[in-house]
Amino acid sequence: MNVKEKLLKSFFVENPVTGLLLGLCPTLATTTSAENGLGMGLATTFVLVSSNVVISLLRNVIPNRVRIPAFIVVIATFVTIVDMGMQATLYDLHKTLGLFIPLIVVNCIILGRAEAFASKNNLWDSFLDGLFMGLGFTFSLFILGSVREILGTGSWLGMALVPGDWSTILVFVLAPGAFLSLGFILVGMNKIARVIEGGK
Amino acid sequence: MDKQESGIRIIGVLVLIAFFAAALLAYVNKITRDPIARNMKEETKRAVRIVLNTLGEIHYPDDPSLKRLNDFEARYFPAVGKDSALVGYAIIVKAPNGFGGDFDLMVGIDSTGRVLDTYVLNHKETPGLGDNMKKEDFKKQFRNRTLENTKWMVKKDGGDIDALTAATITSRAFTSGVKRALLTFKALHKGKQR
Repeated sequence: MNVKEKLLKSFFVENPVTGLLLGLCPTLATTTSAENGLGMGLATTFVLVSSNVVISLLRNVIPNRVRIPAFIVVIATFVTIVDMGMQATLYDLHKTLGLFIPLIVVNCIILGRAEAFASKNNLWDSFLDGLFMGLGFTFSLFILGSVREILGTGSWLGMALVPGDWSTILVFVLAPGAFLSLGFILVGMNKIARVIEGGK
Repeated sequence: MDKQESGIRIIGVLVLIAFFAAALLAYVNKITRDPIARNMKEETKRAVRIVLNTLGEIHYPDDPSLKRLNDFEARYFPAVGKDSALVGYAIIVKAPNGFGGDFDLMVGIDSTGRVLDTYVLNHKETPGLGDNMKKEDFKKQFRNRTLENTKWMVKKDGGDIDALTAATITSRAFTSGVKRALLTFKALHKGKQR
């Protein structure tokens, strides 16, 4: 499979959120605004790429029987690095995402890719897989965050789109709005995925 | 396969992985500790300007001082105006028993004991409910209140403060936090006048 095809596939057909429905807890919880979605997505991408690379390198060393604990230690290490790094550089973003960063450890996308891909493939392929899966995840989080921010607070990436005294559809910022938006985005993304698959 | 699965090998590999993970984390912790501490300090300093915004140009020390009262302690920044007369305090207290535990609250108080503004430094209240305490609609009712002219409880408990919808526990914590700040001010100011 060539690189471009794989990229397209991980954005639409096999997108972790809309195609595989993995990692929905951080997806629903952090996407109250486009910026939060982007931050969470990029943090996850970093962890995904790093853990995929390390696990791919160690794939012949790690005994089969303890592979899950070994993967989790690797993943948890990178999550902690992201947590501390973000606190040191993007302090304000960390204040909003802080509660959810440690949860990346148990994000099934990362363990899923480690188990299903990185532990069986070479370094370069695993790196690309982590990168594309991460970007696909970021992409869906960004869309979901944008929809919720625009409808819920009437702004996008912090820029106000409607006059301040207009009332917005507050429910989209709250938890039910996350489920509502995700449902409609799933419909749209699966339609796109079907068109792409049908075109082949 | 048998050789690969031997107990010693399993233990050895896991220990090695854990060892390298720990070493890496120790290193990252070492290089990020200072920037993190600096970020927190900067946010606190920025917050002082925000809660004392209405006083105009002010000067205050880099680090807060500590004041112990009977049942809690507070940190405070005394702020002086242009002519180096004391114009107010920014007082950091723990707001007790929020929905997600105690949280840090900074309260700006002018030299006559009126509340100017509040700023939540860090909290674990529910997003969308409890964290509305950062919003203007909730904060504005605290302005110009003093220790004496207000019953420092939420209306449900017989006080003067409108609680946030569906976040009474957060509102109670916030209210007692502001009260603590005012008590701290009283204790500080008594000392100053003598």
